[in-house]
Amino acid sequence: MPEIKTSEFATASASAMLDPQLRRALDRVGTGFDVARRNAIEEVTPEAWEEWREEARRIKIHALDNLDYYIELLSDNVAAAGGQVHFARDADEANAIVSHLAQSRGVKVATKSKSMVSEELELNHVLESVGVDVYETDLGEYIIQLAGEAPSHLVAPALHKSKEDVAELFRDKLGLPYDEDIERMAAAARVALRDKFMEADLGISGANFVVAETGTLVIVTNEGNGRLCTSAPRMHIGITGMEKVIPSMQDLAIFLRLLPRSATGQRISSYVSMITGPRRADDEDGPEEFHLVLVDNGRSRMLRDPKLREALYCIRCGACLNICPVYQRVGGHAYGWVYPGPIGAVVSPMLTGLKESRMLPQASSLCGACREACPIKINIPRMLLELRHRTAESEDPQENASPRSERFMAGMFARLMRSPGRMGFAAGMGRIAQKLLPAMPRRRGWIRRAPLPLLSKWTQSRDLPMLPAKSFREVWKDELSEETGSGGTRGS
Amino acid sequence: MAASTGGMPGTDKAEFLRSVRDALGRREGPPTEPYHWLEESLTDLEARALELEARLRENRPELLDRLSDMAGRGGWNMHRVSGVEAALGCVDSLVEELGATRVVRSGQPVFDDVQVDTALRWRGVEVTAVVKGEEARREQLREEMRHADAGITGTDYALAETGSLVILPRRGLSRLVSLVPPVHIALVRPEEVLESLHDLFLLRRLEHKRGGDVGSYLNFITGPSRTADIEMTIVQGVHGPRAVHMVLIE
Repeated sequence: MPEIKTSEFATASASAMLDPQLRRALDRVGTGFDVARRNAIEEVTPEAWEEWREEARRIKIHALDNLDYYIELLSDNVAAAGGQVHFARDADEANAIVSHLAQSRGVKVATKSKSMVSEELELNHVLESVGVDVYETDLGEYIIQLAGEAPSHLVAPALHKSKEDVAELFRDKLGLPYDEDIERMAAAARVALRDKFMEADLGISGANFVVAETGTLVIVTNEGNGRLCTSAPRMHIGITGMEKVIPSMQDLAIFLRLLPRSATGQRISSYVSMITGPRRADDEDGPEEFHLVLVDNGRSRMLRDPKLREALYCIRCGACLNICPVYQRVGGHAYGWVYPGPIGAVVSPMLTGLKESRMLPQASSLCGACREACPIKINIPRMLLELRHRTAESEDPQENASPRSERFMAGMFARLMRSPGRMGFAAGMGRIAQKLLPAMPRRRGWIRRAPLPLLSKWTQSRDLPMLPAKSFREVWKDELSEETGSGGTRGS
Repeated sequence: MAASTGGMPGTDKAEFLRSVRDALGRREGPPTEPYHWLEESLTDLEARALELEARLRENRPELLDRLSDMAGRGGWNMHRVSGVEAALGCVDSLVEELGATRVVRSGQPVFDDVQVDTALRWRGVEVTAVVKGEEARREQLREEMRHADAGITGTDYALAETGSLVILPRRGLSRLVSLVPPVHIALVRPEEVLESLHDLFLLRRLEHKRGGDVGSYLNFITGPSRTADIEMTIVQGVHGPRAVHMVLIE
């Protein structure tokens, strides 16, 4: 698995926010993808959209609740079509399966279309270590492979790169003259990769969906690289998380309506390819061997956890990233592992462990925009709260995300809130402190820095509301209860 | 690591399924609530397909308009022609406009009616037909595809809902003819037009139920190949064609 840097979220996000190039790139995602998504929903009408979301969610709930059954059905149908399914409990097993297949068939060159799971496995490094040259063929993936980086977005992996960055990369790594014209750079990548497609012995793809009923792998792309990877080489290996299984081919109608619109605002992407086994005897083209690797790698842990199971419904459209105020400020790399954004803040702690990734559930304002945008209506805020709860309550100091001072403050606050007398006393003390410490920088009723023990930590990254001259309780007692005439007894 | 058969790494299927079942706290067997699509029998599917056919026949003029509209919005250059002669003329002038000298075409039945080979060769264009039974020439065909200026194909279905063509390579069509050359020209006949994604998957499931095989490959094509991977700027023609033409024969 790739190096887990999720514990560095605080420092990584702080420096990301100061990067003007990343700012511009993230603005483009917000205005590009998210506006297009909203327009696409308007076009089909929000009512129809809502119905599709409900249906997709029902399908996912059913599929995941009966996952073992559908995996078995899938496996039988892939075999019936002449392909083979392999089962990998973890990253090492998945990598061993692909390496074994590549080595035993004498593979020298492999082309690869976009696969987030393979990022999770660091498959490219493993294949290269056994002597296979691997070429990413999605333009964005190709760029970050040349740069030796990780994707920063589920759909647009190289969005953090400027055209000048790409021009420099192409000059340094491909020996091309420096040219920052985007169209010409795309053409250069086409030429560079065209030879690899024809040379490759092995094509590796991910899967957006796998259909149990027919044993079909479905990939959704715009560039055509997925089609080339799965058509030209003599062997195709599809590799995917086991949660991608859907029961019937008929279900695809709903998912193919939801996925492209949520990802890029397209009614459908340029290409949808459906692959069922290797080429048949009377096909003119296509691979002679088809293998499907189903990967667990921590997913059964999520399956086991009823409160977090729904994170497995994710179809990786990226809509929650494009709308998230936190992702929009810090970008994908700050999250420190393969899956960024709100859904990443749930998935990464589950796949890498709460110890490593205990900071990620904190990376949210719980505004709920991700849940609104999610085509499967995944309740991400609820799961983030659940994870926060677990990190706060954990007895294991390595899992506990709250510093001692925060826990102390929370304990004090709880005691105050349980007693009107203590609450009133503390508020009175607070008002006096407010007066005695006029040096506290303030703005429109907010204290920006409180030079007091504990409180100063709070105001490091947040403002603190000033205490009003009269508390609500006092206002109620003195004025409001008489106005309404209904008495001030309720709630006291 | 639990070894399965033949030195192949990975977890044994039964063991893998057991661990999933354990995680779910579920007993072996089908879902307690049966899944409606998977409950459909061959007779159910056939009945639905008959209804579909009647619906398509009745709404054909509107469907062709809708296809044309959605395909245009999806990035296809639309050419609506009436009759085989007009289709041939359209292909001929497209090839001429491109200044194409080498063209590959698939081996679908539509070319029995629309005889593009004769027309284009008369113009001096080199035409390679990728037809069945030419496996021996596979490598050579691939080379010809790489150097072709355009690829011409028929289609198996066209979807009004999305403006997509759907191609099954089994019916005498190489997977690469519509993909490798920089321009793709597709011929569409009215009887190939379906209304929705649901229609398409119904027909594919029917074929699966009947013969036990859906075919190795099915591909939707909607507009040109494109990317927005550098600064969200859309560029057409990355790995597939930069321009696509749909010739709708009415």
